[in-house]
Amino acid sequence: MNSPQDQMHRRTFLALSLGWCSAGFAALASLAAAGRFLVPNVLYEPERRFKALKPEDYAEGPTFLPNLRVFLFRKGNSFRAASAVCTHLGCTVNLSGDGFHCPCHGSVFDQSGRVVSGPAPAGLAWYELTLSRDGHVMIDTAQPVKADKYLVV
Amino acid sequence: MLNRLWKTFRSSQVGRSIFRVGLPESNLERAQVAVSSFFLHFQPAKVHRRSLKFRTTLGLGLISLYLFLILIATGVLLMFYYVPATDYAYQNMKDLEFVVTAGQVLRNMHRWAAHLMVLFVALHMCRAFYTAAYKPPRQFNWVIGVGLFLMTLALSFTGYLLPWDQLAFWAITVGTSIAGYAPLIGQKLKFLFLGGHVVGESALIRFYVLHVIVLPLVAIMLIAVHLWRVRKDGGLARPGAAQPAQEDFAPAQVPVTKTYGLMELARGATPAVGVNPDEEVFTWPNLVFREILLFMATLAVVLVLAIFWNAPLEQIANPVHPPNPAKAPWYFLGLQELVAYSAFWGGVVVPGLLVTALIALPYIDRKPRGIGIWFAKERKVAITLFSVCLGAAVVLTVIGTAFRGPNWSFQLPWKPVAAAVEH
Repeated sequence: MNSPQDQMHRRTFLALSLGWCSAGFAALASLAAAGRFLVPNVLYEPERRFKALKPEDYAEGPTFLPNLRVFLFRKGNSFRAASAVCTHLGCTVNLSGDGFHCPCHGSVFDQSGRVVSGPAPAGLAWYELTLSRDGHVMIDTAQPVKADKYLVV
Repeated sequence: MLNRLWKTFRSSQVGRSIFRVGLPESNLERAQVAVSSFFLHFQPAKVHRRSLKFRTTLGLGLISLYLFLILIATGVLLMFYYVPATDYAYQNMKDLEFVVTAGQVLRNMHRWAAHLMVLFVALHMCRAFYTAAYKPPRQFNWVIGVGLFLMTLALSFTGYLLPWDQLAFWAITVGTSIAGYAPLIGQKLKFLFLGGHVVGESALIRFYVLHVIVLPLVAIMLIAVHLWRVRKDGGLARPGAAQPAQEDFAPAQVPVTKTYGLMELARGATPAVGVNPDEEVFTWPNLVFREILLFMATLAVVLVLAIFWNAPLEQIANPVHPPNPAKAPWYFLGLQELVAYSAFWGGVVVPGLLVTALIALPYIDRKPRGIGIWFAKERKVAITLFSVCLGAAVVLTVIGTAFRGPNWSFQLPWKPVAAAVEH
């Protein structure tokens, strides 16, 4: 049992709760503001939609577009584009005869970008290709599509 | 001549105001100097003879501290030339190598001291484990030590990003991608680290700020608490030491009419109970002399390394093509070997569990057995478990370092496979 002296007076209780709540609120608000401050509102990054050359400028077979880290494949008059960014930890994959190889952690993908072996959790992305009004190939790296979708010109 | 000059200065008004005690000549002064000097007061006036023996600690903690001091000194100097911008960073490295007087040596010292610090902090942790120095009352100091180990790794990681060479660029790419595998907050965390979606200017400045101010400040604070607690927990762990009593100031037991000096706030009965004065020697000069000697040895080794071996600098960052194979520095190759199996399990779960286990260790294994003794027989289980984990880490590191070739494929170190020339 508490003796009367041990019990907190109402005034003390209110003062303490007000004080601690204010201090806690101020601390949380400052933390939240500092955290939000670290999230940029404007990004100065390359456009995710990219205007490439005209279809006839690309040779038969694969062409690597370094700015986008994309492989553009031409087969006759059909085109498609695969991401060269490994889905594991973001290294650039290399194209060799039988598929794609990642130099960082050894993931291997087949010619349609499916994982053959290694730690990659998903296949390589394929991006939507469209033709602009002035006849250029447009690559949209924000629009993944299925591997069998071709742009036919 | 020098001696006379020092004596004249010491007895002057200015000299007396700076050095309250001066070079001690009596035991009283030897005690006073340890108490009155800011730089000596982290240590008690007297230390146990056993603490001075090299085999007690092998000097590993002190060496780590000295390496940290060398890193601060060389790091601050490098900051005068380094600009954290993707257009300049790599050129600054080249300037340091070829144009700035002593730039190469300072950069080398900074790099080798950093590598050595990772090694010695790890060895220091092994020492603390194998001598059971984490058992009560030192549990929390072990936890702070784990924090310092993580700080060391974080400082190393943020440090080798700054030259903006191939190693730097692909380390940020891979490192932040691993953060992206963390459950729930992964992608947000990655965005926060990079300051965007791609590795570029905003990522470099973020890691720079972490490297030169945030992480060092945290590390300095942790080091200060770490050293302070070594003293407050009764010095180095040693067998048969009286357990320092729990904090118990019990103010209610004394009449409140009297005021008390600070000496009455010591733990337990008095600090000297149960201590044989014959086994204690004065910190000055016994410990201080050994510390200075060890510092000179550490500095000498770092200097020799820096003079004869240059710090590596890879080609300028190429956001298109990673080197093949793309390897982290040796201390992260065990982790790289793990993430080569699975990014989530190897990069998030296993390291997370290991750190949790290290932090929990002193609260699980707390029987006061074998304290201060190397490889005590009564700790067979704990020692075996720790050694297996340690062995696994070493094996993974060796595999990642020597047995991995292009495309991270297995190779024998004496039969390296050349990277196929790909477009």
